[in-house]
Amino acid sequence: KQHQIAIGQSGEVKRATLQEVRERLEWLAQKKREEMQGVGNVVDLGRRLEVRKE
Amino acid sequence: MSTHAADARRFFDSRGYTGPQIHNQNPIHLLEKPIRDRIITSYYWQEQCFAINEATLCDRAAAMTFIGGTYGQQKPSPFLCLTMKLLQLMPERDVVLEYLHQTEFKYLSALAAFYVRLTFNSRDVFQTLEPLLADYRKLRRRTRDGGYSLTYMDQFVDDLLTKDRVCGTSLLRLPQRILLEDLGQLEVRESPLGEELDDIDNDEDDIVEGDSR
Amino acid sequence: KDWDDDDIVEVDVVDDTDGLDADTERAAWKLRELKRVKREREAIEEAEREREELERRRNLSKEDRE
Repeated sequence: KQHQIAIGQSGEVKRATLQEVRERLEWLAQKKREEMQGVGNVVDLGRRLEVRKE
Repeated sequence: MSTHAADARRFFDSRGYTGPQIHNQNPIHLLEKPIRDRIITSYYWQEQCFAINEATLCDRAAAMTFIGGTYGQQKPSPFLCLTMKLLQLMPERDVVLEYLHQTEFKYLSALAAFYVRLTFNSRDVFQTLEPLLADYRKLRRRTRDGGYSLTYMDQFVDDLLTKDRVCGTSLLRLPQRILLEDLGQLEVRESPLGEELDDIDNDEDDIVEGDSR
Repeated sequence: KDWDDDDIVEVDVVDDTDGLDADTERAAWKLRELKRVKREREAIEEAEREREELERRRNLSKEDRE
């Protein structure tokens, strides 16, 4: 069901909280930086950073 | 209300709108009908704006590469499509301010500024947007003929505060700043140039004197 | 690829990269800000003038009546 919601099949979209927006933006910013650096194993670094923040 | 309909049929129901309002009207109507029609028939709207929420909208906003209204064969810009999406989502104020003030994605800030101008009350429009007059990051703007031109965040915000039409959208009338000052709703704006301004003033006086000779 | 935009290449015609020449970018902003300040001041002066003009006419019509 979670998947259906995610792809919008339930016809309703879950509203995001401010926290979720912030996390999304952080994730996007991280992704952008990785793309600019164009390095390989950064996915792991990103994940490590995320984990560390929590 | 923690969800909204993915396709937001309700918003486009012309028979009678019962949802939340902004400026005493269906928020969607802050964009003109012809533009709304262009938006909902555009690929971008159908493919990229379906079933996104306040968080996933950031993905689209981060990918934006220009601001603008319609261009070419009156194709609506992603900027306008996302504006309509925001009008439909009506994010919490905190979320809008988060969009506006994050520093990583300037086109998201520009989008938020546009949304603020469309939906906030006059006083809040000035108070929220004026600090951005000090933000001189570059913005690419798509012109109506499909070309690109360069503008700046401060220029864009200034347009929002002083013009009737921005990005192919007519904006609700904003009272002149001076009027709100007289009503005591706003303090006189201090230019971020601050003391530098005084120096320049003095220089200008010198120039004027020089001219009169 | 995202949508029906076949001319995405053109985007690069206008470079929106910030900080390439920080001094020039700031100087250009200063000029724009100056123009805004000037415009605001002129608007205030204009409003003052209108107010005075209104005042003057009001006084005139009062004298006329007497």
